[in-house]
Amino acid sequence: MAHREVLAEPGSRVVMLGNVAFARGALEYGVSFASAYPGTPSTEITEALSYASRILGGPYVEWSANEKVALEAAIGAALTGIPALASMKHVGVNVAADPLFSSAYMGVEGALVIVSADDPGMWSSQNEQDNRWYGIHAYIPVVEPAGAQEAKTAIIEAFKLSEKWKHPVILRTTTRVSHTRVIVEAGEIDIAKIKRKGTFVKNPEKYTLVPVHARRLREELVEKWEKISNDLSQNQVLNHAEGNPDSETLVVAIGLGYRYAKEILAAHGLLDNVRLLKLSAPVPLPKSLLLNEAEGREKIIFVEEGDPVIETLSKALFYDYNVRAEIYGKGTGHLKKTGELELHHVEKLLAKALELEKTYFSHAMIKPDIKLPPRPPVLCPGCPYRAVFYALRRAVGKARIRPIYNGDIGCYSLGVNPPFQMQDTIVEMGGSIGLANGMAHAQDDKVPIAIIGDSTFFHAGLPGLANAVYNRSPMLVVVLDNRTTAMTGHQPHPGIGVTARGVEGTELSIVDAAKGLGVEYVKVIDAFNIAEGEKEFYEALEYVKKERKPALIVAKGACILLALAAGRRIGVYPIVYRVDDDKCTACGLCYKAFNCPAIYSKDDGKAYINELLCTGCGECAQICPFDAFEPVDEVPPEWLRLMREAKPT
Amino acid sequence: MKSLNIVLSGVGGQGIISLANVIANAVLESGGKVIVAETHGLSQRGGSVIVHVRIGDVEAPLIPPGNGDLMLSLDPIEAARYSVYLKKGSMIFVDNNITPPPLPGIKIPSLDEIVESLEKEGFDIIVVPAVDEAKKAGNPLGANIFLLGASYQTGILKEYINEEAIIDAIRKNLKKPEKNIEVFKRGKKWAEERLTR
Repeated sequence: MAHREVLAEPGSRVVMLGNVAFARGALEYGVSFASAYPGTPSTEITEALSYASRILGGPYVEWSANEKVALEAAIGAALTGIPALASMKHVGVNVAADPLFSSAYMGVEGALVIVSADDPGMWSSQNEQDNRWYGIHAYIPVVEPAGAQEAKTAIIEAFKLSEKWKHPVILRTTTRVSHTRVIVEAGEIDIAKIKRKGTFVKNPEKYTLVPVHARRLREELVEKWEKISNDLSQNQVLNHAEGNPDSETLVVAIGLGYRYAKEILAAHGLLDNVRLLKLSAPVPLPKSLLLNEAEGREKIIFVEEGDPVIETLSKALFYDYNVRAEIYGKGTGHLKKTGELELHHVEKLLAKALELEKTYFSHAMIKPDIKLPPRPPVLCPGCPYRAVFYALRRAVGKARIRPIYNGDIGCYSLGVNPPFQMQDTIVEMGGSIGLANGMAHAQDDKVPIAIIGDSTFFHAGLPGLANAVYNRSPMLVVVLDNRTTAMTGHQPHPGIGVTARGVEGTELSIVDAAKGLGVEYVKVIDAFNIAEGEKEFYEALEYVKKERKPALIVAKGACILLALAAGRRIGVYPIVYRVDDDKCTACGLCYKAFNCPAIYSKDDGKAYINELLCTGCGECAQICPFDAFEPVDEVPPEWLRLMREAKPT
Repeated sequence: MKSLNIVLSGVGGQGIISLANVIANAVLESGGKVIVAETHGLSQRGGSVIVHVRIGDVEAPLIPPGNGDLMLSLDPIEAARYSVYLKKGSMIFVDNNITPPPLPGIKIPSLDEIVESLEKEGFDIIVVPAVDEAKKAGNPLGANIFLLGASYQTGILKEYINEEAIIDAIRKNLKKPEKNIEVFKRGKKWAEERLTR
């Protein structure tokens, strides 16, 4: 997606996604380098910067191979004296944790902001870790905007903070900040600034973390941390108190928590009665501000998204300074610890602490008395992965093996659902091959099958594969190459040869990479060809059984949404399929075992195709034993080519 | 503290997020405040979608359960699923087509069963042939805008959004703007002819 509003006219007011407001803020500050690996809910920041870069000729923007490389590249850029941004989802920071910790010791020359997009509620993630802990753990300040309303200001302040202290800064956003649209006023962008280049000045005592240097830097870091804490106590843009200075109650509202607290206090007419401390830069804890505001209060209430991070730190501070008050928050069990905050949760907390009787947001839920079917996301009609899962399952049956499907992060995770249920483990990016290494040696009677996507393969699959070759782990690796990072919205990756700036890059070959790592059995199949897939998977499994070594198959076929988009651009459209009622025997294979969402069963059990959903992939015609499916017209060869070769622009 | 909380629901790919964007831009054009919270990431893949649109004097992104004033839904199953976000008596504008979830062997309730269950809870449910009417207007993907037109006619949005602002937001934010403006007007007309309130 382009997110054109990122380049709104200065002075205009536009509706912007929080993530796009982050991108706009970075441009207004003058960011000159931006790197990222896609991950919900962070992706749109870099998509918007990518669009801006194509139009303005700067800043330099890249989709990196993974988050670790993205952060390393941003550190490198920041050491040359220019402002750099590295964006990733919360679990991406785990991948980047190694350089993250070192960056605090070294500091930066220009500025470095690391966006961590946390996902409380796990809308599209495997966990809901609170990355403010990273800030504390790594000695890196954390800026946490009070909602999308403050997104643009907060990232500009994060850059200023980084520039001032020559230190990396984490900007912690969450799904409800990143994926919320608000009205944003656009400021000026200085194009010369975003296009500038840096100069690295050698300083090995600072930039080479050998023990002798690191020990000294560690002393300096701990000292700096206290100074930054004092600075954050003075930062009125991000941290300030409002309301009644003499109130017996202090509400400490961190990040988005401020919006919840403010709306509830306003509804109850209490904005002028209590003291409200807004903290949008909570790490390192702005101790003097907090102590000033806490002193003499009877009740202190904490509202924060994620873990009770600031509550925990504050309680330790209060102990040290002998501040005694009743505390209400997640740590005390007054606010739920899991999922994301909603108004009624926070109202319940405030109602308990402030002894409120009336409630405005905690209405009884009305649930209609009807059983509703669930609607989980599914593989799209025409998804090449459906054909691959189907072919693989048949091959496994034929080879008479007991498989373990080590899954990974991507659209193919959806293979966990019926009818396929071919994802026995899903851990993290690259975990498929990694876990298969252990499964291969820990048991003798089963064959691990690692299923990994193309982008994920380059992200974290390579070291696991090197390990499998080195240690001779008998496993089948299936690389699902759909020509894009599909689940996050079709970003390019190293296997595509298109870069974030739209200029040509080098297209890496998965086959060559696997062969280069020493995999002896490497084949490429057409993901849409089920018979070929079944045959090749069978032969590869036989090889693994016999040779006790890894085999790798690349199943290549474009994400159908990518093919459809590419087709629209050049006027090529798929031909939908129909069911020949005389041939259909109502066996249900197509809508049960194959489970294409475009195929339904009629009352008599015979299949019919919803032509609005059909993408003309032709997979149904391959699996029907009775040849009941046929295209309604001749299929253009150009469409068949796009299904195999389409890629992101 | 005047505000209007609108719940938009449907199935990924039906145009719910585009609809939210049109409403938000129309509020902006009308000089108001708006917050739109989306649930996406996986939604393109046929999953259930809810978008929270909060207009007026509000701070937080999400509508708490039981606080919504209005729902526009492109699928009856999703309308029922997310009705927990609505106040008693709220209007629900819902398309009459059910998109069955593509799961093997599940039971799909009928439109009548869904409508009945919602009416029993005191909702004011208005079944709209939005997809069919949008198709007739030559814009099969315009059902979202047809629903907006139908709900606009009832007056519930008028305090926050003026009609010219909607036309302008459609023009600036949607593909095929003229066709969508036509669909919006047809939606209004449909409601004018069928609803007396």
